[in-house]
Amino acid sequence: MIEIKDLKKVYAGVTVVNVPHLEIRKGESVGLVGNNGAGKTTLFRMMLDLIRPETGEVLLNGEVVAGHENWKNYTASYLDEGFLIDYLTPEEYFYFIGGLHQQSRAHVDDFLSGMGDFFNGEILKKGKYIRDLSKGNQCKVGVVSCLLQSPELLMLDEPFANIDPSTQFRLKSILKDLNKNKGVTNLISSHDLNHITDVCDRILLMEKGVIIKDIATSSSTLSELEAYFGVEQG
Amino acid sequence: MISTFLSHELKAFWRSKNTGKSIVIRVVMGIFIFYLLLNVLVLGFFLDKILDKTFPREDLVVAFCGIILIYYLSDLLMRLQLQDLPTLRVQPYLQLPVKRNSLVKYLAFTALLSVFNLWPFILFVPFVLKIVATDSGGLTALAFIVSIAGLTVFNNYLALYIKRKSNLNGWIFLIVSGVIILVGVSDFYWHLISIRKISYLFFGHLINQPLFALVPVLLGVLMYYLNFLYLKQNLYLEELGSRKASSYKSSTEYPLLNRFGSVGDLAGNEIKLILRNKRSRSALIMGLFFMFYGLIFYTNHLYGEGWRIFVGMFMTGIFIINYGQFMFSWQASHFDGLLVSKVSFSDFLKAKYLLFTVVSTGFFLLTTPYVYFGWQILLIHFIMYVWNIGVNTTLVLFFANRNYKRIDLSKGAAFNWEGVSGNQWILSIPLLLAPYVIYAPFALLGHAGIGLALLAITGIVFIFTRGFWIKQLEADFYTKRYKIAEGFRNK
Repeated sequence: MIEIKDLKKVYAGVTVVNVPHLEIRKGESVGLVGNNGAGKTTLFRMMLDLIRPETGEVLLNGEVVAGHENWKNYTASYLDEGFLIDYLTPEEYFYFIGGLHQQSRAHVDDFLSGMGDFFNGEILKKGKYIRDLSKGNQCKVGVVSCLLQSPELLMLDEPFANIDPSTQFRLKSILKDLNKNKGVTNLISSHDLNHITDVCDRILLMEKGVIIKDIATSSSTLSELEAYFGVEQG
Repeated sequence: MISTFLSHELKAFWRSKNTGKSIVIRVVMGIFIFYLLLNVLVLGFFLDKILDKTFPREDLVVAFCGIILIYYLSDLLMRLQLQDLPTLRVQPYLQLPVKRNSLVKYLAFTALLSVFNLWPFILFVPFVLKIVATDSGGLTALAFIVSIAGLTVFNNYLALYIKRKSNLNGWIFLIVSGVIILVGVSDFYWHLISIRKISYLFFGHLINQPLFALVPVLLGVLMYYLNFLYLKQNLYLEELGSRKASSYKSSTEYPLLNRFGSVGDLAGNEIKLILRNKRSRSALIMGLFFMFYGLIFYTNHLYGEGWRIFVGMFMTGIFIINYGQFMFSWQASHFDGLLVSKVSFSDFLKAKYLLFTVVSTGFFLLTTPYVYFGWQILLIHFIMYVWNIGVNTTLVLFFANRNYKRIDLSKGAAFNWEGVSGNQWILSIPLLLAPYVIYAPFALLGHAGIGLALLAITGIVFIFTRGFWIKQLEADFYTKRYKIAEGFRNK
């Protein structure tokens, strides 16, 4: 599904991402962890062809992302609020995204009615533009707009960061369901080690732009990660 | 404490992305502001001559005293529109161990640092020194200057007080503006009252009784104190901010655009962008003001056909020029989202063309009443309308590919230089010259008709070759997209 070759990004002489090789197979659920500045978001942006790498390339389904648009048909992503059109109401935004995938309004409405629990009554028919929603609620809009596209590949950057505990648990079960039952490939970054080891069956640990660990999740993964991040405890 | 605030303020000014980026713009802006100041200064210096011409039968000092209050009324109206509230900047200090009093004092004090407080001095003081001082002596002149200072301070704080109040209730702004306009109308149209007489009533007495100068000073101090108290009681983010309490926002759709599929959706989104954000909305409204352009040019026979091309282009294409010059910065805040979503760039461009065509058609229809000045005018408007949606749209989009500056949509357009770069200046050159390159040679040889026809033909050719231009623009965009997206990510 995803193949990365010799990917490198340099800002002002500092290498911020350096991934010689990485392969993620279809149906995998991959978590990306690492401290601030490890290069997670930069890696995401290069995978989505938003920034130009110094060297190397990213292939989705065997096709280079740079210069091609085919991957947009099956990839849904939410990195930050910059992905949302903030002067639209959430409904208008969902209709717009649905329309891009040739979905009728009725179809979108139908889909949204199934999201009632996740929205917790905070999003739809509130008479607010997206810019007037809280950060957590904006995140809900972003995540749901991804789900609406029924993607084969889902990329989320720190989706658990701003949402409330109930929504965190709902999001986890949604992500698991997508992966296990619909075969969606997940790529999720997070600072919450509990959530990420719970949702993902493979963890990539980044440090200063390099993937230093690539582990299949097991019962010992959480403590292994805690040992890495808890610098002073060991 | 105040000095720390001031040093932070200076840093904020010098380090802001707005001011710091381009030296060229700062120099050009500096020259522009200097030129404006110079103009007012010249106006101030020749105020006696101007007053002499305007009110030939009146005594010079009487006329002068008469206009002061009129100035301050219009000044108040201007301030209500344009003056910024010096507010949100205190946000980072609110939770720190800083005395509320010093915060409020600082806020109230910095409110004085506005260009608006400079105008009355430049405008009136030269006259006071030239005429009043020689006529009635230094003490009277001093009294005039003191009362001008007092009224300026009073106006400054009154405007801010009204603005703060109207943040909580939008009606206050409308009512106050309405009252000011009503006062103006009842003088100049209905002749019910005479502001000039009222103004003279005070300033006339000032000549005999310089002590009266303390009245405006007292008013100014009172208004300052009122502001101070109000701020002190309401030092909360909600009340300070310029964000108005929001009403229910409903979803809209434009059935007319639905038939264009996803291109129509994109154009619809952009119409919502324009209508729902402050800066883009003011760009549109400014465009509407340009509809009166014709009244200036067509009523004056000095301006021949050459000017009509210019006027016609501006009136039918003002939106393309005014809004298009900042493309795609308007969408800077969600540009990443557009890039990763299933929007092909050619659709994105087609939506721009659609938007330009729809709005320009609207503006062309608005100019049809100018047929009153002759059918030729309407014909030229139509030709320039075709030129606009043919040539200028493509030109503007070509420059849009070279625009890397982010725009914050929530700020007003007046005196807002965010997003301005060398790009806009360069763009204006081909925009203004291109029609004349085609038209002028024929007009000079006495075949203006052929020139006009060629303009129309060029426009039509461009409209019919849009597909080709879209392909070119798309290819061009792919070489610049990373740079554009990166620029837009820089807040």
